[in-house]
Amino acid sequence: MTRLFFATDVHGSEVCWRKFLNAAKFYRADVLVLGGDMTGKALVPITQFPDGTYKATLLQQEFILDDEDAVHDMERRVGSRGYYPFRVTPEQLAELEADPARVDAFFLDRTLNLLDQWMALADERLNGTGVRCYVCPGNDDSPATDEVIRGSSRVELAEGRAVELGEGFSMVSTGWSNLTPWRTFRELPEPELAAKIEGMIPAGATMSRSVFSFHCPPYGSGLDDAPEVDEEFNIRDAGRSLIPVGSTAVREAIERHQPLLALHGHIHEGKGVARLGKTLCINPGSAYEQGVLQGAIIELDIRKGIKSYSLTTG
Amino acid sequence: MSATNLFLRKATGLVRSWSVFDAFVYAFFSINLVTLGLYIISQMWFFEGGLVPTLIISGIIILSECVVYAGLIAVMPRAGGDYVWQSRILGGGLGFVLAVTGWWFILWLWTPLYSDMLRHIFFVPLTAVLGMREAALWFASSSGSWMLVTVLMLVFVSVVIALGMKAYARVQKFSFWVGNAGLAIVCLFLLLGNNASFRNGLEANASKLFGAAPGVYDATIAAGQAAGAITPLFGGTLGVIFLAMPYIVFFNLWPNWGATLYGEVKGADDFRKNLKGMTYALGLTTVLAVVFFLLVNKTLTWDFMNNANAAYWNYRWGFTTEAPPLAAWPYPAMLAMFLTSSPILQFIVLLAMSFWFFGWAGTVFLSSTRVIFAAAFDRVLPERVASVEPRSRAPVWAMVLMVVPGLIVSYLYIYNTPVFGTGFASVTLASTLVIAVTYLGSTIAAILLPFVKKDLYNASPIAKYKVAGLPLISVAGVIFGAFLVFLLYQWFLDPNALYGIGLKNTASVIFMGAMYVLAIVIYVVATIVRRGQGINLGMVYKEIPAE
Repeated sequence: MTRLFFATDVHGSEVCWRKFLNAAKFYRADVLVLGGDMTGKALVPITQFPDGTYKATLLQQEFILDDEDAVHDMERRVGSRGYYPFRVTPEQLAELEADPARVDAFFLDRTLNLLDQWMALADERLNGTGVRCYVCPGNDDSPATDEVIRGSSRVELAEGRAVELGEGFSMVSTGWSNLTPWRTFRELPEPELAAKIEGMIPAGATMSRSVFSFHCPPYGSGLDDAPEVDEEFNIRDAGRSLIPVGSTAVREAIERHQPLLALHGHIHEGKGVARLGKTLCINPGSAYEQGVLQGAIIELDIRKGIKSYSLTTG
Repeated sequence: MSATNLFLRKATGLVRSWSVFDAFVYAFFSINLVTLGLYIISQMWFFEGGLVPTLIISGIIILSECVVYAGLIAVMPRAGGDYVWQSRILGGGLGFVLAVTGWWFILWLWTPLYSDMLRHIFFVPLTAVLGMREAALWFASSSGSWMLVTVLMLVFVSVVIALGMKAYARVQKFSFWVGNAGLAIVCLFLLLGNNASFRNGLEANASKLFGAAPGVYDATIAAGQAAGAITPLFGGTLGVIFLAMPYIVFFNLWPNWGATLYGEVKGADDFRKNLKGMTYALGLTTVLAVVFFLLVNKTLTWDFMNNANAAYWNYRWGFTTEAPPLAAWPYPAMLAMFLTSSPILQFIVLLAMSFWFFGWAGTVFLSSTRVIFAAAFDRVLPERVASVEPRSRAPVWAMVLMVVPGLIVSYLYIYNTPVFGTGFASVTLASTLVIAVTYLGSTIAAILLPFVKKDLYNASPIAKYKVAGLPLISVAGVIFGAFLVFLLYQWFLDPNALYGIGLKNTASVIFMGAMYVLAIVIYVVATIVRRGQGINLGMVYKEIPAE
């Protein structure tokens, strides 16, 4: 039997990454799978003023920090939510504001830098454990993240290929999604996404032993219900207006091939399970901002298929 | 100086915000003045504590509930609300039992209460002003009609939920404006009218619409006084005002009702927005209630209103065989519309007022389905109960688990079925008691949160809020918890025999006890079954160490 732990959308949360690595021991998992969107979404400046105090804003609340301990604590809090803290003077901040290209470069640098540290931590923690760890960057992760992951000795890049999970089970993965209003790094129109998915499924694969790890959930599955936004990206009706935003290409692929299991993320609010024909589809959701690692434990059995599954909030 | 405090990159789900007003609308409808408020206040005719101070003081205390829940949402914004917080902080078994009893099972009892309100603010007045006297009287007094209204209401609620959250949000916002427009007109009539014109209007309309005998005004007051109506609009010592609160909380204990849904909202961890949405709703509803009853006092007079309430409920509760002079529930909006002789205007305004119900009715099961889903995701309940019908996306099984028992409990309640010698209709306030127990569980979880989930709490935006060096959420939790303990003491022990659902009421004790036993049995069976499947339910709730 293969025990698999799946989590997704940690978005730069240091706490969640550490929990992910520890999940193998905690849940006695043989395989760890991270479904995408590893990198964070925001840089949070901690501005130093001439009088020695610092100012930072987190969740629209302003904090005045009087000493080094307070600044360090704020950096930890910012990092735990998946944002990247950085110290800056008002003048440096003004320079950054005036130069978006510089902000982009700085952002990428911070992103890759942290990811590099994460890979080093994974190498250290997983070494000698026998646990296989697969990650597949999601639509929010820049192409450059792939190279950083390839540099790891213990973490394997799963994008676009079939990998072995053990005992005859295999998994194909992609972090590409259908088009979103945010125009992120890995998005494709539905027909092209369908072609990409078809291209990565090995000919003759036994679907009763196959797992699809597709970042984007299938359209209309309930795993893809997201708050509706207007043209200005304001959430409608206090977020109670939920609409399906998943991929039709993903849904068609699952319905056509009927793999044993499909793992998804992308829509953090879409926690749940759904069945599309014979396929059990799981989106464990994400609560990375609170430092909570939502995940799924699935036991794959050569005779029974999915022996058991449970969603976790670790 | 630079104003930038955040640099964002292009990433999915980066949204601006959600409006406090939208959250306010949901909370405002959850402490619904026209349905919950008027219904329970009409039953509070035998208290010595004044209605206005009871409303105001209870509202102030319930602000602490808003802080507790806004804090919990900010730290752990999860769909499933109380269930998730309690299971993660207090433990899975306790969390499950307290959450499903308060957010699922007891909602079965709310079913006939909702439908009772529906018939009195929709079917009775509208059929009456349409000239269908017999139908109006049938809806007003027949158990069969009440059961029919229950079925119709369940169909309506099921359709609303099947249409999805998007549709429900639209229905609610539309209902908000229409309902408030109706209430504004009612208030205008009360403001411009006077007692003499009301007496004339009552005399004419009560006779025409319900076949009341002449002299209905004075006869109603006499019937009320015979029943023992004493509740004043103002006044009373603090002690007697507090004794009225176990009743009034049926109306105003729910500004947090949307809490189980907040986990689905991006930005739900914004403490201040959640707090504003709830407190504005609580504050405005309290002010609205006070203003409304001041206007009632000005034109209908509180004396008449309270006596009319007493005359109606005293008969309905079986304490007298003398039918009230007005053969319908004394719906204040309907009474106010007796100030006009235009049936068309009466119909339009009363129809508009009914949107207070239609915008609110979905709340009876919407939160319940979320708790059922959350428990199913944790594998405590079968996967099937969280499934949705593929085409309509309706949570069919979750609805079945609400509707079918809801119908059974409705039958018991509507027909006042004796349970070990006590009529089941006497358990009304158990609807509030059981939820209060659930809230107490979450409140204890909130008090403990900063100490047992330190990392989670310290990383949250509420960590900086302190009172005398103590976490705000814990301080607010102690205040609200003390209030809940007071309510539970009064309900259970009922030393002044005011509430009728305490230990002396066998129907109430058996009904509530059965729910807790059912919840415990489900959890124990789930634990055993899942263990056999290789699933340790305990692991579902446990936090993975980060180091």
